[in-house]
Amino acid sequence: MQEAMKIYFELNGEQRYVEIEPGESLLSLLRRLGMKSVKSGCETGDCGACTVLLNGRAVRSCTTFAAQVRGKRVTTLEGLGDVDDPHPLQEAFVEAGAVQCGFCTPGMILVAYELLSKNGAPTPQEVRAAISGNLCRCTGYVKIVDAVLLAAQWKREGKWR
Amino acid sequence: MRLKIKRFHYARDVEEALSLLSAYRGRGAILAGGLDLARSFNPKLEGLIDISGLGLSYVHEQDGGLRIGATTTLTEVLESRAAREYLGGFLAEVVGQVANPPLRNQATFGGAVASAHPWADLPTALVAVGAEVRWVDQEGEHRARVEELWQGEFRRLLSSAVITEIFLPPWEGAFAFGKLSRNVGDIALLNCACGLGIEDGKVAWARVALGATPRRGRRLLWLEDLLTGEAPGEELWQVVREQVEANVEVGADRRASAAWRRAAAGPLLARTLARAAEKATARQR
Amino acid sequence: MALEGKVVGRNVRKVDGLALACGRPKFTLDLDLPGALVGKILRSPYAHARILRIDTSRAEAVPGVACILHHGNVDRVPYTTAGQGWPEPSPYDNFLFDRKVRFVGDRVAAVAAETEEAAREALRLIEVDYEVLPAVLSPEEALAAGAPAIHDEDDAEGIYDAQHNIAAAVDIPVGDIERGFAESDVIVEASCEIPYSQHVALEPHCVIAYFDEDGRLVLRTSTQVPFHVRRIVARVVGLPMEKIRVVKPRIGGGFGSKQEVILEPVAAALALRAGRPVVMALDRAEVFTATRTRHPMRVRVKLGAKKDGTLHAIEMEALSNTGAYGAHSLTVLSNTGSKTLPLYNKAPHLWFHGKAVYTNLPVAGAYRGYGATQGYFALEVAMDMLAERLGMDPIELRLVNHIRAGETSPIFEKIGEGREGKPQTVKSCALEECLRVGAEKIGWREKRARRRREGSWAYGVGMSVSMQGSGITGIDMAAATIMMNENGSFRLLVGATDIGTGSDTVLAQIAAEVLGVPVERISVYSSDTDFTPFDTGAYASSTTYVSGMAVLRAARKVREAILEVAAGMLAEPPEDLELAEERVTSKKTGKSVTLSEVGHRATYVVDQRHIIASASFVPEESPPPFAAFFCEVAVDTETGVVRVERFVAAADCGVAIHPKLAAGQLEGAIVQGIGHALSEELLFSEKGRCTNANLFDYRIPSALDVPALEVVLVDSEEPSGPLGAKSIAEVGINGPLPAISNAIYHAVGVRLTRAPFTPARVLAALRG
Ligand SMILES: Cc1cc2nc3c(=O)[nH]c(=O)nc-3n(C[C@H](O)[C@H](O)[C@H](O)COP(=O)(O)OP(=O)(O)OC[C@H]3O[C@@H](n4cnc5c(N)ncnc54)[C@H](O)[C@@H]3O)c2cc1C
Ligand code: FES
Ligand code: FES
Repeated sequence: MQEAMKIYFELNGEQRYVEIEPGESLLSLLRRLGMKSVKSGCETGDCGACTVLLNGRAVRSCTTFAAQVRGKRVTTLEGLGDVDDPHPLQEAFVEAGAVQCGFCTPGMILVAYELLSKNGAPTPQEVRAAISGNLCRCTGYVKIVDAVLLAAQWKREGKWR
Repeated sequence: MRLKIKRFHYARDVEEALSLLSAYRGRGAILAGGLDLARSFNPKLEGLIDISGLGLSYVHEQDGGLRIGATTTLTEVLESRAAREYLGGFLAEVVGQVANPPLRNQATFGGAVASAHPWADLPTALVAVGAEVRWVDQEGEHRARVEELWQGEFRRLLSSAVITEIFLPPWEGAFAFGKLSRNVGDIALLNCACGLGIEDGKVAWARVALGATPRRGRRLLWLEDLLTGEAPGEELWQVVREQVEANVEVGADRRASAAWRRAAAGPLLARTLARAAEKATARQR
Repeated sequence: MALEGKVVGRNVRKVDGLALACGRPKFTLDLDLPGALVGKILRSPYAHARILRIDTSRAEAVPGVACILHHGNVDRVPYTTAGQGWPEPSPYDNFLFDRKVRFVGDRVAAVAAETEEAAREALRLIEVDYEVLPAVLSPEEALAAGAPAIHDEDDAEGIYDAQHNIAAAVDIPVGDIERGFAESDVIVEASCEIPYSQHVALEPHCVIAYFDEDGRLVLRTSTQVPFHVRRIVARVVGLPMEKIRVVKPRIGGGFGSKQEVILEPVAAALALRAGRPVVMALDRAEVFTATRTRHPMRVRVKLGAKKDGTLHAIEMEALSNTGAYGAHSLTVLSNTGSKTLPLYNKAPHLWFHGKAVYTNLPVAGAYRGYGATQGYFALEVAMDMLAERLGMDPIELRLVNHIRAGETSPIFEKIGEGREGKPQTVKSCALEECLRVGAEKIGWREKRARRRREGSWAYGVGMSVSMQGSGITGIDMAAATIMMNENGSFRLLVGATDIGTGSDTVLAQIAAEVLGVPVERISVYSSDTDFTPFDTGAYASSTTYVSGMAVLRAARKVREAILEVAAGMLAEPPEDLELAEERVTSKKTGKSVTLSEVGHRATYVVDQRHIIASASFVPEESPPPFAAFFCEVAVDTETGVVRVERFVAAADCGVAIHPKLAAGQLEGAIVQGIGHALSEELLFSEKGRCTNANLFDYRIPSALDVPALEVVLVDSEEPSGPLGAKSIAEVGINGPLPAISNAIYHAVGVRLTRAPFTPARVLAALRG
């Protein structure tokens, strides 16, 4: 039998104490906890739809075991902002026309968030490299790159949090 | 992904990890980044032993060489100054071409050595520089060159061992890395790592490894011999093209045919050697 | 000349953009349904086999298993999974579960259980004895004498020639083709082939089946065609249509793959049998092998032309592989000719003929471009060959031959959607301008004249053109309802299916333009068979044009009703009133009332009524959007690696209601086309098993594979369309394959006619 286990971790700024299965993926845990922005597009680490930030770094939640986040900080898109108080990156994606079906969007925004936290003035090529692990089948990426560059500009102008 | 394992352990030190491993008798596995384990769907696994808390995440320079802790992520390698400077940026060149940023945030250097996917880039590079793997098992500490390790039954060996560190030795010359793939984020259809030492306008030593053939990276000793003593230049590269096409051992998989690998290996090696020679010559000056 | 709209022609905020960018739970599986069972499908391990025995007793004993369905315990109803209009043009060759399996991955049984683990365990324990039959793994084998018949059941309907594995066939002669070639000065021929490729919508197919308070069946599903889902499910599970409600929430992309009703009947049947809600989600491997793919096709094009370049005769022959079932087999095949040949309407002699054949491989279906993509690959490569033979610039050759506004083609009338079409005169065409703008942007003249070479890298430029349609003439039907709230805001209800395309936004813009309000005052709801009016769905580039017209008509009716109420308030006839900026103003006196006052009065004060109107639209024609594509490639002559360095597309979609969304459609389509050209191909073992059904091995373009991509929308105005609009969703995917092939030819002098142009194929071609 699988032994259930309990872990503490921080989810979007809140301390959580949850029961998990030892072999459960972080993707499964987060969706169970209601974080529906975390999407499942392949569950083999190949598409990026399930991206979350783990201690500030973008990782695939489908290839991360829930148990691995014990004591760590997890941020999902819900943790960045919501419709009544969106994060500038979320605004930038809408503004630039980077959202078509929106299924890749949560992952895209989170990898962009990590990029901009390290590099406030990325080149288009640096943006492409940063988002290259996240597949989008709708946009052809053009407007996603625009959105990240726009957000970077806003960040430099101090419109950020 | 949902592995049907029974327990997940957080090892506090190498000894604990080893004793847990031995208690599982082949049904437990060391977990570093977890990327490969999560994709493995291995139904035999009963327990995972997380070694991320063992303090094995570090990159240290040592006499021009590099010591990389087993749980160091590829991103941490890329961000470390020592790694970026190693062999004039060679390691960063390779690691920067592995997968993509989120996967590099998770994948560990030790995991890459333990998995040693035949199509992967790091094994080819590590073979070329003659990297040394250091591991611990019930009998104690061991070390071996990666190519020796991978030639043996390393998967069985690693089922009761913990890799602690990989050592990349210093070299006087220069290395370059080459990769051919279907598109940018793709794994290699063919990759190579080439190192050259140049003295008095001649190749003093050569280290050449070709990988994803589709077998794991291996040195081409005959090519190294052929290069040694020759003057680097277009003429020599042309010989490389021809000799490689005539002599290289390659195979087919669903990603590429043997005929293409045979035809493409020469140009790939010739170009990568040319870049290594350029760097080596520049370094000498 | 773009329409000077207050709302139309502007990049307003996508109505659902922010909610999506904030990750709101808007997709099918984002709804948690307590007590739902998990549905899973047992799939055939064989390409072709008869099921001799199926024993579920051990599987049923697994704790948590609610029910197991297979051919022995469900009704046998022949149907097609193709979600198309009525009468359905695809053969009825599918069954919920059959006694026979026809490809690796075909359905054998389905399980509903309390947990995913229990469902998987049950699948493992279902015992099936198969009689393995010889498999047919290519169209050639399918047509060979003595080939096993894949559809030997006697109750299938509408198969062209089941005994010879021919699902559908077309034969359309115009003029006298023999004479045409005899009278031609120059003749060229190209034969191009597209393999199995998949849509890879990022959201895998999924559905939740549950029962509402009254016990009606609700299907919350990731679909492009909610109304066809309702009709088909009703037939297959034997429920009256009114007992089924289909809800389409936000959809994570479709591109045609969700124009198929694949999972819904299974989920419905499981839920009905178990009497409990059922959730079904395919994994990525199942999406690749057991949903739908593009029709692999070999298309041969023979062109005859006069010395001055005027085309005189065109023959196009297509051999389409529809896989194990005939979804869209006839219509995709028809479109290969009907969406390509009218583009070059100067040739009086035409012959389009072809077959769609069954094989024991995955099922092909609708995929963006819908046969035209396959046709244009061959046609535009042939045009490149012809230009070379004539010593003409490829652009010049297109200019000599392409259709213009005011012109027609006999093909419009000859080929329709699985039957005859309707005559049509093209009313808007800005292809000339597209060619000019695109050529200038890429630097055609200079780059064409001087081939660049750097070491082993050879550079070249190539081009292609294409057209598509806007909806299906006489068959598509869309309806819209607009109601006014008493505060002067509106609710727009459409059956039109926004699957990520932004159609909710575009339709809201059309309504807003007519109603004189900003888009924010209109809340759009799509689509729900209980609450939104009928719409055939999101396919055939129909939404902006067809659904847009329905919205336009409904909005005009609502405007009339508003003016009527306002007329009473302002004591002036409606003709003298104007509706703009949220008020009704007298053109004479300048006095005005706000929409909110109008709404309040109509709702509560005098002569009360709900200001509400519905309207429908059926297109009498399908105006083609046009596009010209230009690209620059680099070819590594030593390894065969091809890089697309730059890609320029100029398109005429009529008035772009929302330029950014239109450009986004074009960009997305082009990048899918680049994927087709460079890397995308499903591979199969000699037993018919797909060997790369995952995103690790099946490579779609990532952000780093996208070249400098520039798209230009060239203005035109379509008189038959809503506020001048045509369509844009598909036309872009037809360009990259031939443009890249032609550019490779320019760079290195070899023709790549088999996609994708992998390093191995390119190198083999280079080495002769
Ligand atoms: C999608 C994808 C793309 C990739 N692309 C590339 C590429 O382009 N180039 C390239 O070179 N590589 C590539 N890789 C390989 C990648 O580098 C490895 O998968 C990764 O480094 C594994 O590290 P991990 O820490 O996640 O491994 P884990 O999953 O934690 O472990 C992998 C295996 O190694 C064992 N193990 C791990 N650490 C130790 C240790 N310290 N001691 C003993 N055993 C250990 C585990 O038990 C397990 O069997 C790719 C991988 C994936 C999944
Ligand atoms: S769902 Fe995790 S990478 Fe695709
Ligand atoms: S917007 Fe649909 S996948 Fe990116």
